[in-house]
Amino acid sequence: MKALRALSRTKLYWGLLIICLIGALASPHSSSGNNIFLSYGNLTDVLRQVSITGLVATGMTMVILLGGIDLSVGSVMGFSTIICAMLLTKSGWTAASIMGVPAATAVGFFAVAFLARFVFSGLARGRDDSAGRRREIALEPWRGIWIPALLGLVAATAIAWFTVSQVPTKFGVLGVLLVTPCVALLLGSLNGVLIVAGRLQPFIATLAMMVSALGIGRLTAGQDNAVVAVYTGTNATEAFEVLRSMLWGVVPMPSVFFLAAIVLFGAILRFTTFGRYAYAIGGNVEAAKLSGIKVAQVQFTAYLLSGLLAGIAGVLFVAQYRQGKPDAGAGLELDAIAAVVIGGTSLMGGRGSLAGTFVGVLIFGLLSDILQLQNIDSNVQLVMKGLIIVCTVLVQEQNLGQLVARWRFRSSPQAGSETGSVEPNRPLSAPKAQFAREDLNEAS
Amino acid sequence: METRSGAAGGREAPRAPPDHRAASVGRIGRGTESGRVVLVAERISKSFAGVTALRDVDFDLRRGEVHALMGENGAGKSTLMKILAGVHTRYEGVIQMEGHPVSFGGVRDAEGAGVAIIHQELNLVPELSVADNIFLGREPLIAGTLIDGRRIVRAAERLLRRLGVNIDPRSRIAELRIGEQQLVEIAKALSLDTRILIMDEPTSALSSSECETLFKIVRQLADDGVAIIYTSHRIEEVLDLADRVTVLRDGRRVVTAPIGELSRAAIISAMVGREMAANHRGTAAKSGSVVLTVNNLTLDTLTGRGWRRALHGVSFQLRQGEILGIGGLLGSGRTEILESIFGVARGWRGGAIAIEGRVVDIESSADAYRLGVALVTEDRKERGLHLAESICNNVALPSIGAMSRFGLRAFARETALADDVVRRLSVRCAGIDQLVSTLSGGNQQKIVIGKWLATEPRILLLDEPTRGIDVGAKQEIYELIFKLAGQGLGIVVVTSEMPELLLLSDRVLVMCEGHQTGLLQRGNATQETVMRLAAPGMATHPWDTAS
Repeated sequence: MKALRALSRTKLYWGLLIICLIGALASPHSSSGNNIFLSYGNLTDVLRQVSITGLVATGMTMVILLGGIDLSVGSVMGFSTIICAMLLTKSGWTAASIMGVPAATAVGFFAVAFLARFVFSGLARGRDDSAGRRREIALEPWRGIWIPALLGLVAATAIAWFTVSQVPTKFGVLGVLLVTPCVALLLGSLNGVLIVAGRLQPFIATLAMMVSALGIGRLTAGQDNAVVAVYTGTNATEAFEVLRSMLWGVVPMPSVFFLAAIVLFGAILRFTTFGRYAYAIGGNVEAAKLSGIKVAQVQFTAYLLSGLLAGIAGVLFVAQYRQGKPDAGAGLELDAIAAVVIGGTSLMGGRGSLAGTFVGVLIFGLLSDILQLQNIDSNVQLVMKGLIIVCTVLVQEQNLGQLVARWRFRSSPQAGSETGSVEPNRPLSAPKAQFAREDLNEAS
Repeated sequence: METRSGAAGGREAPRAPPDHRAASVGRIGRGTESGRVVLVAERISKSFAGVTALRDVDFDLRRGEVHALMGENGAGKSTLMKILAGVHTRYEGVIQMEGHPVSFGGVRDAEGAGVAIIHQELNLVPELSVADNIFLGREPLIAGTLIDGRRIVRAAERLLRRLGVNIDPRSRIAELRIGEQQLVEIAKALSLDTRILIMDEPTSALSSSECETLFKIVRQLADDGVAIIYTSHRIEEVLDLADRVTVLRDGRRVVTAPIGELSRAAIISAMVGREMAANHRGTAAKSGSVVLTVNNLTLDTLTGRGWRRALHGVSFQLRQGEILGIGGLLGSGRTEILESIFGVARGWRGGAIAIEGRVVDIESSADAYRLGVALVTEDRKERGLHLAESICNNVALPSIGAMSRFGLRAFARETALADDVVRRLSVRCAGIDQLVSTLSGGNQQKIVIGKWLATEPRILLLDEPTRGIDVGAKQEIYELIFKLAGQGLGIVVVTSEMPELLLLSDRVLVMCEGHQTGLLQRGNATQETVMRLAAPGMATHPWDTAS
């Protein structure tokens, strides 16, 4: 029984293992007799391919844990590819740099200011440990407002100087990596404002953002369905190639971002109060609210982070596919949601983990890899993906267990304890006709 | 619960002598009528997750009688009613109707057999019309597809006329008052050709004139041959209305007898079975300084029909170590007072709140938390707990922010905190990693209280702290409340149970329809005085006028 429970708790990883086994067994062999599926090149390719979806799914996990949903990530990612590609290939004040420079400056100001305040309050708390559990440490204005604001201003100036200096030439790798996610972060925070302050349902607010971000992307690019091609070395800086290379020849660069995001946000969910609050809000928002948690703050932050990660994914997309296009992320949000759900995170919120999402993303990636190695039609692949979603969620949500329990209950009539999840209908032993109901017309 | 302890007998009301009902209208000449037995339940037992709710209860019901079911909260009344109405389908024992054993597979089954239940919380769709509600799910159809609206309205009209009430079947439920909604529920039950009608606390939210209408209709139904099972916390009402009474206590039947054979005192002692808990605190602490001042508190809430004033100028002071009880009927604004103080009431708040003499602005629960105000909500499962999480996570939740540094959780301190709470409140559990959903109601309640105590509050607001927990656990909660007051906390308790209100409170604030109708000192607060202040419309109750 104990073994069974352990098996059930780790079933996600078993699923991953089974997929790997199938992949290895079914894999074609290269001319030299090597298993192609298990080859290093193939596995790193899978990791590379899932990185963009994976980054987006990381942000999505946090949003879904809170009981929300972010449909806009695909469009925001597409918009980010446009910003990134234009910054790389066009010099001067283009639509991208007009948006990007102020965005990066503003985000830099707030990020550094909040960071400073955060550090100050942490330091203050350390000194004032005996203050009792309830009391919050109120920072004096100079530590609470003025010094953080000053530091923010310094950071904003530095960022503005740095980005403006890049405008006349074209943006470099660092500039792009700084500016693009900032723009996406602002879109994400707009989602957050709509949901938190405007009290819109997350589905609606992010649906609106999904539609409009696509439009903004096309407007920014200048013409409908514009594709901004990025040829490193000719119309863009050579250095941008680094984002599609292998780090030290071991890990593909996009995967480094993906893995770092998983580890960082996994730790945040596990070890910080933010993470605890996220689970608490997703589990029971009313109880969380009444426990003195600033629900709005946490929700806002989650949507903001989701936008930020979509922005980073956008930069990686440009590096990977050498182009930016407004609809680059079409359908990406659904892939991300699917990966999150396969990873065992409940769409109702409050239950799930980033480790699960990581596995979910890998299962998806490995599956398409296996099917591609078998030369299976891409439309069949879509059907298979659908099947995988249904199957894993059936296992994940323990619906399967319940189905089995119900079936076993039916087959043994005397079975059944009060704790059973199903209440079978007992037959009505008294003849119903005895209490024949009057016809409605005679109801008076 | 309208009972008081034997110890409090010195404060017995001047009214309500045991024989007063002999004079009441509608009862004359009915006492001797004994219809044939329509329902027999034998040796009914039921337990929930190990807690016994009913043990070997026998019950029988005759045609045309009003059979009152009495007992304290948690005595098993609701469980028995729900079994008879097919809500609970698993139990031990046998139920026979008209001599045939029956076993309902659900509420529909029971309705088919002629048993209908009207729950305390009404089961109507607010946005549908009266007629649509009556025939919900059983609409007569034209050609098997379209709903025959005219026929529904006509049938509903007939039903309502039969009840002798003047309600337009086309009006929406949301436009009706609670009393009228209750009558719609009765009409719905009648439309099912109900032979057995179960009514769970039908008068708990009614005004006195609405009660009178209801009683008249109940009598009339009984005269038509419907057997009625009736519960109420108001003993006078039962003495007036019922033909027989069955008293349950701690899941067992204590007595079943015709109403004439039982006096009011006999019913009370059968229900209580023992002395109520004595006041463990001795004399109330009055020396403490004022921790909370509420001045002219108002609350306007936005409803479907525009702004409604939920609180009309409530004012009181709370001292350290004092327990202030708030009494009143359901919907009288009791909960709204607590939510307004805690900053979570929906709507516009007016008036001033001062904590320890300083006027404060509490806009959210985070503000309340910072100022040392704690609220234990009425609905602990929906609003108080994260059921799917551990004791430790639940207890620590409000405190983890203050215990963390740089946003990093202090796991060791969280564990220590939870251990401390579990020990101090003697929560019975396997350990702090146990899931809260697996705890009993009483222990869950302790967790909710504990998670707030862990924040070291100055003011504790308790909304129905003993709802749905068993008698022993109640006692523990009372003792806990006394102990906390002894430690200098200012406590505000809202409760629907009169003995509990009188037992706990140093002072009683009585609410009626959003108005503060009284603030009674402990010595002056009796069931009668509180009831009179709480009753809407007028200062008396039906049984006052009947005798």
